[in-house]
Formats: sequence, structure tokens, C-alpha cells
Amino acid sequence: MLSRTAEYLYWISRYMERAETTARLLDVGYRMSLFPNPSGYNNEWESVLSAAGAIEGYKNKYNTIEQRNVEDYLFFDESNPSSVYNCILNARNNALVVRTSFTPESWLAINKTYQEILNIKEKKFTKSDLPDLTEWTIEQVNLFRGSLSSLLRNDGYNFLFLGLFIERADNSARLLDVKYFVLLPKPQYVGGNIDNMQWSILLRSLSSFRAFRWAYDGNITATKIADFLVLNNNCPRSLSFCIQNIVKHLTNLTCSPEKVGRIYNNLKDLNTKIQEEKIETIVEYGLHQFVTQFIRKISSVDNEIHKEFFK
Amino acid sequence: MFNEMYQSESVIRNHYNNINDWLDQMTSKVILEKNAEAESHFRNIGITFSTNNETARERIIPFDLIPRIFTYTEWLRLERGVIQRAKALNAFLADIYNQGEIIKANIIPKEIIYKKKSFEPSMFGFSPPRDIYSPIIGIDLVRTGPNDYFVLEDNCRTPSGVSYMLENREIMMRMFPDLFHNNRVTPIDDYPTRLLQTLMSLAPIKCENPEPVCVLLTPGPLNSAYYEHSFLSDQMGIEMVESTDLFVEGKYLFMKTVDGPKRVDVVYRRIDDDFLDPLCFNPQSVIGIPGIMDVYRTGGVNICSAPGAGIADDKAIYIYVPEMIKFYLGEQPILDNVETWNCEKEQELKYVLDNINELVVKEVDGSGGYGMLIGPKSSKSSIDEFKTKLSRNPKGYIAQPLLDLSFSPTLIKNQVEGRRVDLRPFCLIGEQAQLSSGGLTRVAMNEGSFVVNSSQGGGVKDTWVLAE
Repeated sequence: MLSRTAEYLYWISRYMERAETTARLLDVGYRMSLFPNPSGYNNEWESVLSAAGAIEGYKNKYNTIEQRNVEDYLFFDESNPSSVYNCILNARNNALVVRTSFTPESWLAINKTYQEILNIKEKKFTKSDLPDLTEWTIEQVNLFRGSLSSLLRNDGYNFLFLGLFIERADNSARLLDVKYFVLLPKPQYVGGNIDNMQWSILLRSLSSFRAFRWAYDGNITATKIADFLVLNNNCPRSLSFCIQNIVKHLTNLTCSPEKVGRIYNNLKDLNTKIQEEKIETIVEYGLHQFVTQFIRKISSVDNEIHKEFFK
Repeated sequence: MFNEMYQSESVIRNHYNNINDWLDQMTSKVILEKNAEAESHFRNIGITFSTNNETARERIIPFDLIPRIFTYTEWLRLERGVIQRAKALNAFLADIYNQGEIIKANIIPKEIIYKKKSFEPSMFGFSPPRDIYSPIIGIDLVRTGPNDYFVLEDNCRTPSGVSYMLENREIMMRMFPDLFHNNRVTPIDDYPTRLLQTLMSLAPIKCENPEPVCVLLTPGPLNSAYYEHSFLSDQMGIEMVESTDLFVEGKYLFMKTVDGPKRVDVVYRRIDDDFLDPLCFNPQSVIGIPGIMDVYRTGGVNICSAPGAGIADDKAIYIYVPEMIKFYLGEQPILDNVETWNCEKEQELKYVLDNINELVVKEVDGSGGYGMLIGPKSSKSSIDEFKTKLSRNPKGYIAQPLLDLSFSPTLIKNQVEGRRVDLRPFCLIGEQAQLSSGGLTRVAMNEGSFVVNSSQGGGVKDTWVLAE
């Protein structure tokens, strides 16, 4: 497989994953905007922007944080590299180049999505359309992921999934980083409305709201949620699940065993640690620190993948 | 005036009877639906193109639902004629880059050849595998009567349009399966396989691989034929590479893969000569592969079509193709050329200036239907403008009579109307010479128009060759 093809495949699934994350964040922000705003409570749109890594860009463009502008910036804005529109555009442009390396169904899934978002963008949206837009985005991403099941299980497949899980690991970790304080035990709020609301934001933005209920019995607690999102291997967005899958798709690569070996060596400590760690220990020593380190590690693995395979 | 479907106002040609019945039972509603279906299909698969006049949204070529049909006998003659021409053009290239017999025989003046920009001096004395310079030739044909076909031009470099030929058939089979149950239409979907066989049969001398590694070299996604590049490489199962994916080491060409370098034997290039090798051609080019020409000349790789193959489809050389056929093959040309005046010659220029109202004047280096004058259809001011251009730069132009291109029934606003068509079949020459069982029919969608180019409002049709 051409190095460039591998790189484009990797980025197609990164972009599609990112489109979904951005859409989910928008959905969360939208839900929050429908609830009464408790006093002293942070503007939720601001944390949506931070979690999407778009706060700086947004503030360069707008002076105040307003729903309409946030929606526009995160969904349509061409100057925001992570807007849903840009993610789909980039995924499609990459797919155009490597369409020969995956199935016609995968190309169709991406290209149809692109054609549709052009139409949507032309018409723009009214306030009540946001849920439709986010739902549409998630649907399109699922369509794409579903189409991958018919792929040959070759290196191209593994590069697609490496990209997917690198992106997801990064997205989940960033979200946790923005919201880590929610998961710290703070006696004055425990069990209060604000906590419930904040927890639901976290779970919903990681598409794990219902799943959490099925995975844990009894009361919702900060520790349980942290355990679910960091260490639970059954949760498809937890940090440990992402790492496991990165390792799996990396070691499944049949090309260049020595390159695979080098990257794996860098990764295996984190993998071992995350599989053995207890959540209480992580929270005690600092969830924030843990997540920051995790993000740094993922970024260095990403760099290595680029250096070893795509150059 | 020749109509492909109607023998006279009330008589349908036999081989169009089924289509006529089919048209009769189609309601306006169905036509609208099917048109929308075709458009959305073309958009979804991404068979789009861009024109010089760039807009944000990619365009699709209008597709007409009514197929254009050839009988087996009609096609047999075209097939023999096109293959004959393709063979002669390759023989011509082999000759002028070596002994130059046709010049010595005073059939073609040497300055017409050696002074052309498309003549590539670095090819002199080199022979590509099997002496094939141009393995894929697209010949543009028009019809003016039951047995009257004319070649408008030859395309020996990188003719495009074959993806439309294939996709037009796919969409027709999908939308109207019954048509294919009731008509014996020769399949064309083996074209990519034949193309790959052709390329593999042209492996370079130093290739040791029994199954030569072929790649398709594209300029990239901004090229207007990019869809075709990815479509063809996908159908052939070969890598589509850009020049940055390739590099030369020692006497071989390699592509960068995740496993490390992999040797490449045959490059089906869809980029111009100028951008092949900055060391050999355009030193300003940032998109070439430095050293590829050296590998090529020492037999480490084959480049299809060969650099310098473009001289064979030069509009000034076109005039001599019938002579080439006689000279190299000892045969009478099966397909006729259009009578052409070469404005470079003083007498012919004078004729053209005197009769410009009746003629079509074309730029020698023009394409896409741009930069041409259709005398009988032009205003006095544009005719005068062309006269000035001609007098200033006579060698930049040729002139031809305006041919009465055949009409093919076409759906215009749900009504069947006659529109002019041409035809581009694709000829493959490697170990054997063969013609696609069909081709790309382009149709001038505007009433009375002679211009079939997609950049100027042309559309396309599925083209059927009926089985024997």
C-alpha cells in the first residue's frame, strides 16, 4: 500500500470521528440550553467550545458566546478546522484520492454525506433544526462505519481503525480534561442538580448515557462515571478501550514489523498501566494530571505513526 | 441531414424499433424520475468534472436516456477503420523517432515534424517495448450519412472519457434492465481488464516480474479527469499514484509504500510530457519524478503513452494520416479524414480567408471546443476578428468544412428531439489491437448546435453495439 494511501485512510476516519464528536457536543449544548440556568453556573456553551478545542478560534471571531454563533461556528464555519462541515469536506477530499482503497459503499457513504451537507449549508438552519443536524451527522458517520465492515481485513483496514481510535482517544480525553472537575468528589454538590446535569453532559457527549446505566448498578457516583469513562473496557469510548484497540490494529499491521515494534514499545507501558490501574488511585493522584499525560502520549503515538508509515 | 433513428419522417430504422416502442410507453413522469435518478447517481459516485470557468460546486455532464445504437455490421467497419488508423499512428511514431522513412519518401515535410513542440527530441533513437508509443488511442468520429464516417481528430496522448462510456452503461442497466433483456447489447465492462492486459503486455525489457506492476500516474484531485483516473485504477486494481509517491533509485522506479519501496514496471501516465521529469523536460515543474526518463531509456520502466507521442495527434499531422496508412500498412484508409486546409500554406490560407463564411477554423493547439470559429454560425464581427488572427499567425490555424453531423433522438424537456452527436471509441494496442465495443457518444444539447464538448453544454449517451 502506498504511504500516502495509508495516511489518507488514517485521516478519513479521524475526520469522520471528529465530526461525530463535534455533533455530540453541539447536542449536549443544545439540551443544556433548554434547562433553566442555575445561578452561578458556567455558561455551558463555553465548555462545549473548550471540549471541541475551538474556544480560541471562536473568540477570535465573536465577542460574546451566543448559541446561534456557537452552532454556526461548530457546524458550518469554514474557518474552524474541526467544524462538522470541514471534517466532512476533508474526509471526502481524502476519500476521493483513496477511493480505490476501500469499497464503493464506503466512498458512497462519504460522498453522499458531502453532497447533502452542501445542500444543508446552502439552506443554513433555523434554531429548531439543530437536533436534526446532529442526528443527521451521527447517522452519516454510522453509515460510514457500517460500510467498513465489508472491507478486506488488510493494512488499509487497520490504518482506518488506527485513525479512528487515535481520534477517539484524543476526543474522550479532551472532554474529560475539560470536565474533570465534575468527577472530583465535592461534598457540597454531591447528589445535587448541578452534578446530575454535569454528569449527564459528560455521558451524553460520549454517547454513553444509557450504556452507563446498564453497566453499573445502584447510585450514580462520580467515581463510577470516572471508572466507566477511563478504565471500563466495555465502554467503546473509554480511554482504556481506545488504547486496547490502538494496540490491536497496530499489531495487526502486516507491513514493516520493526516499525510496528518501535511504536508498540512506546505505547505498551500506558496500555499495561491503564489495564491494571484502579480508578480510586487515579482520582487520588490527580485525574487531571492523568488525562493530560494521556493526551500527550496519544499525540506522540500519532507523531510516530506519521513518521514511520506516512513519510 | 442524417438521422440515426429515422430513415424518413415516418420510418424508423430497424435497429431502433425496440427503442421507439420503449419511448412510446414512457410517460413524462417516468422520464423526470429517471433523469433525477441518473443525476443523483452520477453525483453520488462523484463522476464530476470542472471547467475553465470554475464554480464551487462540481458539475456533472448531462446524461441523455436514449441510447445511440450501432448495428453489428456498422460497427465492424468502424472497428477495422479505427484499428487501422491506430496502427498507422504508432508506425508513424516509431518511424519519425528512428529512420524517418516517411520524410525520406517526401510524404511529410520534415519541418512539420521536427519543429513541433510536441516532437520530443530526447526520444530519438529509442524504441519502447513492442514499438508501441501510444497504446490507448481515442478517435473522434462523426457521421454524415449511412456509410459516411469522418475522423475529426486522433487522441494519442491520454484520451479521456472512457469512464463515462462505462458509467453510462451501468446506469442504463440499473434503470432500464428490461431494455437489456430485449436487446442484444454487446457488453463493455471488460474494458478495464483489457486495458490492464494491454499495459502488462508492454513491460520494459528489464522487468523480471511475470506479472508486471502497473500504476496510474495522476496529476491529482484538481485535474478535471480525476474521477476517471481513480475509476480506472480501481477497476484495474492498480495503485493510483501522484508523482510524489514515485522516486528513482539506481536504474529503477519505485513507489513509496508502507512496506518500503516497491518497484514499478509500467506507468500509465495521465499527466503531460512537461510534468514527467524536471531533469529532462520542464525544470520549473514541481510535480515531476526526477530521473524517470533515464530509467525509461535504459529499460527499467515503461511510460504509456511514450513521451513525444503527442506529435501523432497534432492537427497539422492529422492531414497526413491517410497517407501514413498507405505508406506503412499498404492499405486503403477505411475511414476518411475531413478535408482540411493548412493555413500555414499560403495558397490554402488564401482559400480559407476567401471562404471563411463556410468553414470551421480551429486553433492547432486548441481543445475542448474553445478558440474555434464556426463560419456559417458566426457574426460578421467575430469572423473579422478571426480573419485578423489568421493573417497574423497563419500557422496557428487549420480550417475544415462544416460537417452536417448526424442527429440522434434526444430527450429535451420530455420531448424527443434531434440533436447532433459524435463518437469517441477507444482503441487498445499492446500484444494485440482491439477496439472497445462501444464508445462515448457526445451530444450537443442545444438546438442547432454543432459543439458537443462538455465544457460548452454537451451531454453524453450510452452507446450500444448490437451483437451479431
